[in-house]
Amino acid sequence: MSEEILKALMQLFAIIAKQDVGLSTNERVYVENFLRQQLNESSVKEYLALFDDYVGDKKASENEQEKKPKLTSVKDSVKTLGIAKKINKTLTQKQKIVVLVRLFELVNSDKKFTPQRMAIIDTAAEVFNISKEEYKAIETFVVEENIENWDIPEILLINSKKNPTKKAKHIFFPQLEGNIIVLRIQSVDLYFLRYTSTRELLLNGLPINNRKIYLIARGSVIKQPKGKPIFYTDVASKFLSDDTSINVHFKIDKVHYRFPSGHIGLREVSIEEQSGKMLGIMGASGSGKTTLLNVMSGMAKPTRGYIYINANDLHEESDLVKGIIGYIPQDDLLIEELTVYENLYYSTKLVYKSLSEEEIENKVNKVLFNLGLSHIKNLKVGDPLNKEISGGQRKRLNIGLELIREPAVLFVDEPTSGLSSRDSENVMELLRELTVRGKLIFVVIHQPSSEIYKMFDNVTILDDGGFQIYYGNPVEAAIYFKEIDNQIDSHIGECPSCGNVNPETIFSIIESRIVDEYGQPTANRKVSPAEWYEHFKNKIPVKKITGAFDKLPESFKKPNWLNQYKIFFSRDFFSKISNKQYLLLNLLEAPLLGFLLAFVIRYVEDPTSDVYIFRNNDNVMPYIFMCTIVALFLGLIVSAEEIFKDRKILKRESFLNLSRSSYLCAKTGILFILSAIQAFLFIIVGNYILGIKGMYFEYWLVFFSLAAFANVLGLNISSAFNSAITIYILIPFLIIPQMVLTGAMFSFDKINRAIGGGQEKVPIIAEIMPSRWAFEGLVVNQYINNKYNRDFYSRRKLESALYYKNVYYIPELKRYVEDYKFRLSQGYEEPICADNLELLRNEITKEHESIFTQYHDYKFNQINKLVPGKFNPSLADSLTSYLEKLNDFYRARFNTVNNAIDEEIAKRIRTPEKHKEYRQLMNDYHNEYLTSFVKNVMVELPLVRLNNHLVQKTDPIYLDPQDQRLFNFRSHFLAPRKHFLGNLYDTFYFNLIILWIFTLLLYFALYYHIFSKTIFFAENAIPIIKQKINKFRNKIRDFLIEQTGI
Amino acid sequence: MTQRIVSSMLIISGFLALFFAACVPEKREEATDLLADTLISEDIKMTDEVVGQMISSVPNPVEMSVLLQKSDVIYSQELLNPVSGINNYNTNFKRALNLGVYGTDLVYMNIYDRTVTTLSYLRNVKDLADDLRIGQFFDYETLNKLSESSRNVDSVLYITNRGFDSMTRYLIDQSRSSISVLIAYGTWIESLYIATKVETYPTNKERIHQRIGEQKIVLDNILLLLSNYRNDPNFEELFLDLMDLKKEFDNVSITYIYKEPAMKEVDGNIVVVDNSRSEVNIDEEIVAGIGKQVEYIRNKIIE
Repeated sequence: MSEEILKALMQLFAIIAKQDVGLSTNERVYVENFLRQQLNESSVKEYLALFDDYVGDKKASENEQEKKPKLTSVKDSVKTLGIAKKINKTLTQKQKIVVLVRLFELVNSDKKFTPQRMAIIDTAAEVFNISKEEYKAIETFVVEENIENWDIPEILLINSKKNPTKKAKHIFFPQLEGNIIVLRIQSVDLYFLRYTSTRELLLNGLPINNRKIYLIARGSVIKQPKGKPIFYTDVASKFLSDDTSINVHFKIDKVHYRFPSGHIGLREVSIEEQSGKMLGIMGASGSGKTTLLNVMSGMAKPTRGYIYINANDLHEESDLVKGIIGYIPQDDLLIEELTVYENLYYSTKLVYKSLSEEEIENKVNKVLFNLGLSHIKNLKVGDPLNKEISGGQRKRLNIGLELIREPAVLFVDEPTSGLSSRDSENVMELLRELTVRGKLIFVVIHQPSSEIYKMFDNVTILDDGGFQIYYGNPVEAAIYFKEIDNQIDSHIGECPSCGNVNPETIFSIIESRIVDEYGQPTANRKVSPAEWYEHFKNKIPVKKITGAFDKLPESFKKPNWLNQYKIFFSRDFFSKISNKQYLLLNLLEAPLLGFLLAFVIRYVEDPTSDVYIFRNNDNVMPYIFMCTIVALFLGLIVSAEEIFKDRKILKRESFLNLSRSSYLCAKTGILFILSAIQAFLFIIVGNYILGIKGMYFEYWLVFFSLAAFANVLGLNISSAFNSAITIYILIPFLIIPQMVLTGAMFSFDKINRAIGGGQEKVPIIAEIMPSRWAFEGLVVNQYINNKYNRDFYSRRKLESALYYKNVYYIPELKRYVEDYKFRLSQGYEEPICADNLELLRNEITKEHESIFTQYHDYKFNQINKLVPGKFNPSLADSLTSYLEKLNDFYRARFNTVNNAIDEEIAKRIRTPEKHKEYRQLMNDYHNEYLTSFVKNVMVELPLVRLNNHLVQKTDPIYLDPQDQRLFNFRSHFLAPRKHFLGNLYDTFYFNLIILWIFTLLLYFALYYHIFSKTIFFAENAIPIIKQKINKFRNKIRDFLIEQTGI
Repeated sequence: MTQRIVSSMLIISGFLALFFAACVPEKREEATDLLADTLISEDIKMTDEVVGQMISSVPNPVEMSVLLQKSDVIYSQELLNPVSGINNYNTNFKRALNLGVYGTDLVYMNIYDRTVTTLSYLRNVKDLADDLRIGQFFDYETLNKLSESSRNVDSVLYITNRGFDSMTRYLIDQSRSSISVLIAYGTWIESLYIATKVETYPTNKERIHQRIGEQKIVLDNILLLLSNYRNDPNFEELFLDLMDLKKEFDNVSITYIYKEPAMKEVDGNIVVVDNSRSEVNIDEEIVAGIGKQVEYIRNKIIE
């Protein structure tokens, strides 16, 4: 209590005390005692002097007052008003209530309820804004002395009588002398206590004085020297019980659980509990506590047995039941980048659809207040290494996240691990308090202290191998095990003097070992888990709860998909931007890399010149390649840990039955935005430095699309693997094949034939590499659509096709025929082989279908005769003449097109100025090295023979895909257009769409957990296969032994 | 749940559809209209065959270069067409002329063993040939390798020569004789240019001047070739410039002195030896006049 309040109180006390007949000894004693409670000895004297001083004031003017003793002096009234107003400014409502109660107490100390005194209290109450009802209740509580008068709803009576009251609440407390009266002030949620007897009664270990009024703080315990104590929660529950909450009945019926690896986790465990109880699940490590919790909460499906919530099967009707279950795992589920308040805020938003922003804020603030976290609500949670809030606070916040939603059944895994004993008790108190509000709570706990242990309504104890060996009252558990162990004081559950129950003794009995002749404990237990289980089955009767079950409420009103999306999005967004390091690094990384890359590879070819010429930079193609790799890297890195980081939060939110797709869409949305920004920064810097003009958007689009693919890929791996290190080990594995199979580092003509190297089309393995689609799209676009080339592209394409036909293709066909003629003249038995004929057949058929047939009418009508046996010299002659005519046609057309292009160029460079412009255009937009790359000029053979077909290898950039079967979309590398369903599409857009299809597929893989399921299957298949092999081996061995008799 | 998946799929496929729609109409216009043209028959008076024969009568640059080397002419890089010049040649006309120019430069350099800078010229020749779509006759790889050592000069020269010959033959075969005429012209003019520009001892100079004078006959052939294509304004310009050169060459007189041919036994075979010879009358002044006009033409070509 602050100095100011104390002073104000002293003044108020003095004003009241000096009324009427003046200060009595009792009153002064009360004030002294009151001060002694609050302060140390020296300060008490100081304040008592102050009090006397205020009272003394009165004495001086006593004569005046004596004249009209029945009235409160105006001066005092004004003074009271002044003090009360002053108090109003500094004290909270709760504190004001306390002050008011203290005033009553002072008056009560001498039972002098004169109108003057009451008038002053009245004045104070009015200024304090305390409602009439509550004022009345306080008065009743302090002033009245018999049971009948206490019978108002604000009061709780605790005594050894049965049903003494009508309106007032009542707790039956045997062996209690007198009454304990508890008052609840609803508006501020405070409880006051009075005791009417002088028999010893302890509040939190301190004796209760029957003259005084006590505040029952959260977690308080009222204890008689012997017997069960009364907890704060017991008191509170009496007042809160009218809060509407459904009655939940939870039944676990002979649940048996076997791990995928074959180990048994739980055997025939049965539990039955209902709302308002707290059950402790205890046992040694590895006895199956957490497994039981998982099975009960629906995260794992039992092998046998059922779990019912109000007669609904948890696993069969999970949709119905899921919303009412809450789960608080052992680890923290907090978003470390967000503040305490924000953590709760987003959880609240996810849960409550209909609440307004204000209501949500109120709700969050209320929960924060209840958790005692109000003062740190704006602190960032931080990670365990970089702590901003304490362990206990973290734990409480975790619980708060679940509390917001108010699930009817709450599962808590080891809430006290890693906490100090004070924090542990706080946390357990918090849980205990929840049972008051009608929650059913299951707590897995390892080694509870006596205090905590006694908080449980029931405990169940598991032993190694999943045996349930006890289920019932915690104190009786000690008696039960001591009895079986034949201990002397087996009938005593708790320590007679201190009331402690030490759960340690229970475990030492359960796990006690046989001692050998030297007194050393052996590995064998006195009583095996199976034996304990037998004892349990025989000695402890099965509890049965009967009665009608409430219908389960409809699960809470969660927000719709879009709203969930918004919430997830903003939660993620704010957690990202609050991490300055992350943000800064991610946003700087891209332009820095872009700068580094482009700056390093920007060079001037001519040693005598200082002018950078884009055309002569041989590094443009490698730059495009690096763009794809950087996109993949950046995309993967920003996403690789995303889901993994959220894993625990997702586990909790799985009970909220939220939409996974809205979560994933929000996640990808954020990452896409980040990647889009990174792409923008990288490209704007890189392209600018390298002088790649007029292609910013296209580069950005491809970079972004590839990064988006990598984002989703990263999300997949982050959801499939269970440690950060695995994820980072995996990244090179995902990136290096993409680098190798981009088509930039290694030509597809020069890779292993086993994976499709040297074929007409891109190897299939490269078809599944997004990097190659991106790279191809960019390169093709850079070549075709740059400002210098784009006007000529289509003519050059035609020129290229004619040139190829004229120079390589037709002459090659002619060669086969000439070869035939030569061999014939030399008298070979077989002048032409079947393969060559097939090739001619194939190629001439193709020639008949080529687009050029529209422009000539040469046809070879005897294709069907191009088979062994039917081919003859006259046919060869007509074939030669056909090819000759074709060759002439192509030659002439080539010249025409070639001249047309030449004329066009000549037109453009007619004047010296125009010529200069033209050269500038070429220098700025055309790139020599890229050109030779897309024209494949380094190729050794312009055409190759593959499966009796001739395949063009030169000028891929001018060659449309040859295979135009309906569903074929594959083509050779660097094709200008792609074929699908009978249409040709620009490679750039086609490849982009392919990239997005990849992304989409990965998104669905993510949505349906395909990766994690595959990994799970693979991990579990191995032990099962091993087991099967072992079994089989044993069988064979047995069989052999049987047969041979060895 | 399924509804949501369906709806999200719909949204995404909607985007994709938009994407497709966006790029489908962007079908590039094909240039096939050019195919419909009937073959433009060039107004050619001379058959390709004759053109081919006449081109082969134009001396190849090796002869002149060897002469220069033997005449102790000092190698001078400045005389050659600069490497960077290639950027200016963007039409077939220019490319063909300068292919000839660079070809001569390449030979000249090779004879003088300038192997390092040779590579740039080799590359230029290759690039121009590629642009003219006759690159397949130019074995760049092999030449590149051979150029690494000066011992291979003979091979380099042989391959270069063969390359130029094949180009000529091919071009004529492909009805692109005009290109080959231009290449030959470029080669010849560059040789002549270098010959008129070099400095050496007076005695050696005389031999060079003689060789320059002899070109009078070649000039007549070339004029004949060019006149074939005079309907093209570019060719007409070349022709007119060459006519100016002819005026200079008119000052040169060549007298043909006839002598009885003699029979001679060489390695057991009887051969006829032509004892007739031409006498070229040329002086410093005439050479200067020729040189001036050659320089004018040549610089026009390479600009």
